[in-house]
Amino acid sequence: MTSPYLHINGIRKTFGDVVATDHVELEIGEGEFMTFLGPSGSGKSTTLYILAGFQDPTAGDIRLRGKSILQTPSHKRNIGMVFQRYTLFPHLSVGENVAFPLRVRRAPQAEIAAKVKRALSLVRLDGFEERMPANMSGGQQQRVALARALVYDPPVLLMDEPLSALDKKLREEIQYEIRRIHQQTGVTILYVTHDQEEALRLSDRIAVFNRGRIEQVGTGPELYASPATHFVADFIGDSAFLTGELAEVKDGRATLRFNDGTHLADVPMHGAGARGGKAELMLRPERIDLSDAAGPQGASLPVTVEDVTFLGNNSAVTARTGWGDPLYIRLNFGHPMMGSVGRGDKLHVRWQPQDAHVFPKA
Amino acid sequence: MLMNFDKLGAWRWILSGICALMALFLLLPILFIVALSFGNSRWLIFPPPGWTLKWYGDLFADPRWLQAAFTSAKIAAIVMVLSVAIGLLASLALVRGRFRGRAVLRGFFLTPMVLPVVIIAVALYAAFLRLGLNGTLVGFVIAHLIVALPFAIITISGALETFDPAIEDAAILCGANPWEARFRVTLPAISHGLFSAAIFSFLISWDEVVLAIFMASPTLQTLPVKVWTTLRQDLTPVIAAASTLLVLLTVVLMIAAALIRKGKSR
Repeated sequence: MTSPYLHINGIRKTFGDVVATDHVELEIGEGEFMTFLGPSGSGKSTTLYILAGFQDPTAGDIRLRGKSILQTPSHKRNIGMVFQRYTLFPHLSVGENVAFPLRVRRAPQAEIAAKVKRALSLVRLDGFEERMPANMSGGQQQRVALARALVYDPPVLLMDEPLSALDKKLREEIQYEIRRIHQQTGVTILYVTHDQEEALRLSDRIAVFNRGRIEQVGTGPELYASPATHFVADFIGDSAFLTGELAEVKDGRATLRFNDGTHLADVPMHGAGARGGKAELMLRPERIDLSDAAGPQGASLPVTVEDVTFLGNNSAVTARTGWGDPLYIRLNFGHPMMGSVGRGDKLHVRWQPQDAHVFPKA
Repeated sequence: MLMNFDKLGAWRWILSGICALMALFLLLPILFIVALSFGNSRWLIFPPPGWTLKWYGDLFADPRWLQAAFTSAKIAAIVMVLSVAIGLLASLALVRGRFRGRAVLRGFFLTPMVLPVVIIAVALYAAFLRLGLNGTLVGFVIAHLIVALPFAIITISGALETFDPAIEDAAILCGANPWEARFRVTLPAISHGLFSAAIFSFLISWDEVVLAIFMASPTLQTLPVKVWTTLRQDLTPVIAAASTLLVLLTVVLMIAAALIRKGKSR
């Protein structure tokens, strides 16, 4: 078996009694764009700092092309990094900033000039060599930082929420730049963000972090279509959660009983849950339909319509289940129910069997 | 802005007048001394009956004055270098360090600013008697370093606080070892603070007189001490000439400091 390009192997980091990351295990392919997505304090940045060598893990290993890099000090790891804050050297021009990594590597002058020119061209800042960082916008500064991190062809590029200081429009603009640069250079990127939209837009694969652990790794569509945990379902996309009791668990499928006695059989179940325990049914508002007739067993629930709001290309319907939980449904324009549905209507919500998921509730 | 100067009406003139008077009040003694240094009267008469450069000639002809100026410059230069070096290390610890008692240590470093200088002088004099440092160059340097250091620490800490340590991290990931990162990135980035600290330290030592009087010996005295002792013997306008030169150097250095600050904020 060949070893993976980059292997984050069981990384654990504790600060006193606080566990920052625990058993973080991830294999990243060469040229892959991998995003660490999670709320603040979920361990995604700690993992990145360990890769950069600013922190040592309490346990575990990091191997690049099969060789551990933990014994190599930061400045010899050859890793590129773009930081959340602006980190251009304020006393050096843009050209000298980008040249810095080459100068400390004692590269010949001609090579430096050529590489700086190429790197600035890559981030579309041709001719900015003489500009001082203080005279540039935040977006330009982060592009220079990107050029500086790529100019020495690092095996891995780390990006720690590089766009969080920018406004939304600029952020989207630079996201496309980052995608283009990734495609153009083929560099392996580890990108940290708490913004799910950013993660979905940029990444080949996403590792969802929560409380120091990776909850799930997968492509954006995989995470959306089959979330492994409640946390992932909640963090990626909109979702509704209906709480009930596990009446039966068998072969990864569950039967749920809700408060009013309604049973829902044969729903895919994630995680360990025992009979009699509490569990939640997850549904996406855009994946459920409203209908006069009940659907097949396990893919339909009776509801009472409470409110309808017309929003132009769709209508937002608030309905209540028999036991009183709210449920939101989006009806696209042109849906047969649109226009006819009103307050107090007793209808059925229906969904495709693969769109419902049950998660045990702690 | 709290007040719009253009809309003050008659108050404008009154406020301007008060400002001018204050400036005059502060500047008059200096202008007075400068005028006297060029006056041809032996007795420091104002206004001078005529003008001459004689006193400057006398000043530069007297080896004792030159000796004192040289001593002052030497002590100020050594104090400047040590103050910046120690101030930088102390600031790094105070700004970047994460240890217990940091705030207390910072306050401790700054005490010479609030302690009456004469008390420091007496204490040092007593201590140096035992160590045999009174009247020595080392004694002078230590004494001036004590009063210069707080200013160096304040200026350098200020510069360091506005410098994001992530920039140093970036330099290290770019391949610079930690010392290279500090010397090639951190120090140049806070150079305005280092220059200001150097100028202030030099000036504090250059025109310090209380400690210097305690430390001085007949063979080792600084320019301010020489001015003071000469003044007690006779009222020669040479003192005015020496004072004028002292003021001139101070003004030049203050302008340099102001230019550095301006260059930084640009």
